[in-house]
Amino acid sequence: MAAEFDVTARGSPAADPPPGILGKVMRHLLHPFRRGTPPQPQPATGFYTDTSVCIGCKACEVACKQWNQLPADGFAFTGNSYDNTGALSAESWRHVKFVEQFDVLRSLRERVPGNGGGTSEPLAERAEHSPADGRLSLDVIPPPADRWLMMSDVCKHCAAAPCQHACPTGAIVYNEFGNVYIQPDICNGCAYCIAACPFGVITRSHFDGHAHKCTLCYDRQKDGLVPACAKACPTASIQFGPVAELRERAAKRVDELKQRGHAAAHLYGNQRTEAYSELHSFYLLLDRPAVYGLPDDPVNPWVHMRGDYLRTVAFGLAGLLLTLAVFLLAGRPA
Amino acid sequence: MTPSPTATGYAHREVTKPPNWHGLVVWDVMLNAVTTGVFLVAAVGDLARPTAFAPVAAWAYPLALAVLLADLVCLVLDLGNPLRFHHMLRVFKPSSPMSLGVWCLTAYSLPLTGLAACALFGWRTEWLHPALLVVALPFSFGSAAYKGVLFSTTAQPGWRDARWLGAYHVTSALAIGAGVLWALAEWLGASEAAGLLRWATAGLILLGVYPAVRFAVEFRASRVVMVVVTVLSFVLPLVLVATPQAAWVAAVALLVGGYVARSALVHRPHRS
Ligand code: SF4
Ligand code: SF4
Ligand code: SF4
Repeated sequence: MAAEFDVTARGSPAADPPPGILGKVMRHLLHPFRRGTPPQPQPATGFYTDTSVCIGCKACEVACKQWNQLPADGFAFTGNSYDNTGALSAESWRHVKFVEQFDVLRSLRERVPGNGGGTSEPLAERAEHSPADGRLSLDVIPPPADRWLMMSDVCKHCAAAPCQHACPTGAIVYNEFGNVYIQPDICNGCAYCIAACPFGVITRSHFDGHAHKCTLCYDRQKDGLVPACAKACPTASIQFGPVAELRERAAKRVDELKQRGHAAAHLYGNQRTEAYSELHSFYLLLDRPAVYGLPDDPVNPWVHMRGDYLRTVAFGLAGLLLTLAVFLLAGRPA
Repeated sequence: MTPSPTATGYAHREVTKPPNWHGLVVWDVMLNAVTTGVFLVAAVGDLARPTAFAPVAAWAYPLALAVLLADLVCLVLDLGNPLRFHHMLRVFKPSSPMSLGVWCLTAYSLPLTGLAACALFGWRTEWLHPALLVVALPFSFGSAAYKGVLFSTTAQPGWRDARWLGAYHVTSALAIGAGVLWALAEWLGASEAAGLLRWATAGLILLGVYPAVRFAVEFRASRVVMVVVTVLSFVLPLVLVATPQAAWVAAVALLVGGYVARSALVHRPHRS
């Protein structure tokens, strides 16, 4: 806690006063071209999100909104379980997802005897088998085959991030912690990063027209603090730290879950694949990635760039040569 | 613990988010094709047969510049923050097709302005004109080449599978450029240039068939778009090549067909 109080006591550096209209214009034009000294690289940090212990409390969403002063999303009713955030966006950098895996028909057959299913005991017989006072059991806890899946989604801070590759202004950088960071004073809202992200993380803000996403609490990390969402998470579903350490911890947890009978437990994004880099924000999942709204096999669009350019240039040059040939050869007197 | 087979969660949703690209971007892609196509074909003609092409080139460069300026206006206005358009020039990042494209367009605009000024004010020196052409050519080519790759190197549905999009865009740009110049030459009465441009238009349309078919298949274009583009960009202009009086009809067909294809392209992710 003391570290948090230290930060507020330190204050923030004063901004340069803008010297008149011309000064403002010059500053606007020249400021983006100024370069600072790059900070010393640190060990890469990230998140390991253990979805098996997420309880869907949304404390992470709230902490992120509060710390980053992000606006509300309108509290829309999505009709999808307890998910009223809907998606990651420029205004929501955390999104808790809910998947209800219940066999509704079986539950109905079991709980509403005689209602067409024909498998359950008739109400009277069930009453006979009830405790001595004759009352029906109020056991509404789902049988073990039914479950909730919950997952707090966020930017994956890809080790080789397509959004960073795409960004033509250089607004998106890898900071000293190896996190993918959008410099808000540089982005001009071209939206190319939105098109490039295979995880649908970034959108453009309706307020300022710039792209925004999770900063991995760069400001807090610089001050030695844990990101707000990880700090708020009451079940340690969101774990923050050096990526190498997190990977070890996650591997142990997968073994533990498998031993307890969760055969489907696996890590998503902890290792690079042929088509995608490792993620610095990776997940422990209990079902297929697609069920959680993650691409099963993400592909970095840049793997195609060389071939796409090659075909384009080859056909473009062929067109120019053809045109040249027509102009040189056609219509000449024999 | 076996999950219910019906509980697919978010699996039915498209994971990616479409960028905020709509009508202005359609115009940007179209105007990119027109300015680069017109310039490239005119420049090749001007270098290969200067006498025949002089009257056409005098109109072609100012036209290419006007279309380029309109294209740049679309590019700037489409930004989330247009006042920050100059941020594009703070880094040169060839790994980003958008960065490469912005630098190519900027570099192309400078000699093109010189060529347009020479054409408008009648300055035609022996060395300056070809020098400007040679400088502008690679940047104009780069400006045409980056555009399709910009779309195909994204994660968006339709675009991400379109390996032949860049080749389609660049051949279509050349065909449009030749078609427009052919109509211009007919209008100016530059019969030698018109005859050459007629055959160049036909050749470039035929060259574009293969990349267009590959692109349409990968992109899974709708049947209506495929029919409209096939008729307007391929069949009709090829039929009209034999009729010099119909040069304008062929040029308009090429332009409208190109616009329809690019509109379908830009709006594709919003349909998923
Ligand atoms: S998840 Fe998307 S936004 Fe985040 S770093 Fe990767 S590509 Fe960029
Ligand atoms: S919208 Fe901003 S952050 Fe995204 S690519 Fe464009 S300039 Fe970069
Ligand atoms: S790390 Fe910070 S910015 Fe990112 S989701 Fe957590 S609270 Fe929000």
